[in-house]
Amino acid sequence: MPDFEFFLQQLSNGLTRGSIYALIALGYTMVYGVMKLINFAHGELFALGAYLGYTLLVVFGLGGSLGPPLAIGLSIIMVVGLVSLAGYLLERVAYRPLRSSDRLAAVVSALGASIFLQNAIMLQWGAQYRAFGADLLPNVVFHIGGFNLPLVRVLVFVAAVAVMAALHVFVHRTRLGLAIRAAAIDQGAAKLMGVDVQKVIILVFIIGPALGGLAGLLVGVYYGQINFNMGQLYGLKAFTAAIVGGIGNITGAMVGGLLLGLLEALGEGYISVIWKDAITFLVLILILVFRPTGLLKERVAEKL
Amino acid sequence: MLELVDLNVSYGGVEALRNLSLKVEEGELVAILGANGAGKSTTLMTISGLVKPKSGQITFKGERLDSLKSHEVVQRGITQAPEGRRLFGPMTVEENLRLGAFTREGDSSETLAWVYDLFPRLKERRSQMAGTLSGGEQQMLAIGRALMAAPNLLLLDEPSLGLAPLLVKSIFRTIRDINKSGVTVILVEQNARAALKLADRGYVLDVGRMVLEDKAVNLLHNPLVIDAYLGSR
Ligand SMILES: Nc1ncnc2c1ncn2[C@@H]1O[C@H](COP(=O)(O)OP(=O)(O)O)[C@@H](O)[C@H]1O
Ligand SMILES: [Mg+2]
Repeated sequence: MPDFEFFLQQLSNGLTRGSIYALIALGYTMVYGVMKLINFAHGELFALGAYLGYTLLVVFGLGGSLGPPLAIGLSIIMVVGLVSLAGYLLERVAYRPLRSSDRLAAVVSALGASIFLQNAIMLQWGAQYRAFGADLLPNVVFHIGGFNLPLVRVLVFVAAVAVMAALHVFVHRTRLGLAIRAAAIDQGAAKLMGVDVQKVIILVFIIGPALGGLAGLLVGVYYGQINFNMGQLYGLKAFTAAIVGGIGNITGAMVGGLLLGLLEALGEGYISVIWKDAITFLVLILILVFRPTGLLKERVAEKL
Repeated sequence: MLELVDLNVSYGGVEALRNLSLKVEEGELVAILGANGAGKSTTLMTISGLVKPKSGQITFKGERLDSLKSHEVVQRGITQAPEGRRLFGPMTVEENLRLGAFTREGDSSETLAWVYDLFPRLKERRSQMAGTLSGGEQQMLAIGRALMAAPNLLLLDEPSLGLAPLLVKSIFRTIRDINKSGVTVILVEQNARAALKLADRGYVLDVGRMVLEDKAVNLLHNPLVIDAYLGSR
């Protein structure tokens, strides 16, 4: 394949993959922004989204009975709703009772919730890979010269970016968005403004998981198969993306996700597929050592 | 209007306020003086509901305040410009002001116009990040932000901190104007002389206890106060 077309191939692949990382990373970063706590169970909420999507589209066969656009649209709404509910319950059960305890207790609780969720997913859906039907979306591929662009790659990217754009508007243009940003900057000062910070915490524990759950469904649709421990690897990659963009920084999480996706796709294209995951961890270590506040440090002004 | 009765507050095991009582009438400007660590900020934070008292009670317009959450205190009409300002630095001046009006349902453009009228500099800089303002402008924004809720009672914690003398004068003049417009004010200050010149009454706090309470003019001439807080000037 000619060089330039190969490059475009990897580029488009990286952007779509990165947009998924970005969606998941937003959940880490929004919760961290307000709580100063890593939600270690976030990767599992993402996996839950993938499995709920699998149940709706494949087990219940919505894909066959409703036709792809309607089936996927309906699944998105249901998955997002259910995973937000799971996020809400997680906050209620695993975090709120520990609000006044020290941070270590919350971290242990988060890890416990993560292990619980992963095992619950395995018990419910089994340890083997599950396949999303290949016929879910029409297998359309655009040929642009020698560059092949599958329709699903475009759709997943567009969906992820549209959701992120909506989130950006929400956070910057609405009253609630203003409250989320304020609570992330200074919880005490936000309280003095009359912001009910407990409500803001619930809100980020609904929005973050909603985005993560959506990402899970998109991974199922895009890659065609899912596994019960997918939350670990994706979680770690998205966490890296959040760190790259500066944890707590919403714009940073979006940029970090896209960057990491591109880096991975180009790395596996030009170095070796074997290096794909190693690249993530190398990036994580390098950032933590040399730039712990993230690449967008000069814009920490934007903190969230 | 506001009454604190036998308030006890501690942080962990450390007592910060002991049997503190204090009363503020509608329309008054009351100063709270005291050395560093006396418990002035703790008093304001307890009124605002960010710090919960161990015992004692706070009533505001006949309603118990001490069991309310901080956002409910703001809804009752009590706001605070805290020590160190605590602005939202990465947000614009106008966003900070909008947050000040967070609890208001309807239109707050009239209040915004009033705040811009009190502090024309804020209007000029409304799209600028709060973190990039000068010290004086930041204090104006902290006070303006607290006014956006159209409060009945305004708590000001060391508004003169770190400001040049000329600015202090202008800020204090504005505080008087705010009070004259009908807002009751509790003013916490280390700058005792300036505060007492402005205030109707004053309280003096010493390591968590209220040690003196009098009309501001009397405190200005009280030898104990002159010795401890007004210096020889
Ligand atoms: N968040 C806190 N945690 C522990 N101790 C505190 C805290 N805030 C204040 N204190 C202590 O409470 C006492 C009163 O402090 P403060 O109310 O800030 O005094 P002031 O405003 O008069 O300088 C001091 O001894 C201070 O060290
Ligand atoms: Mg103080």
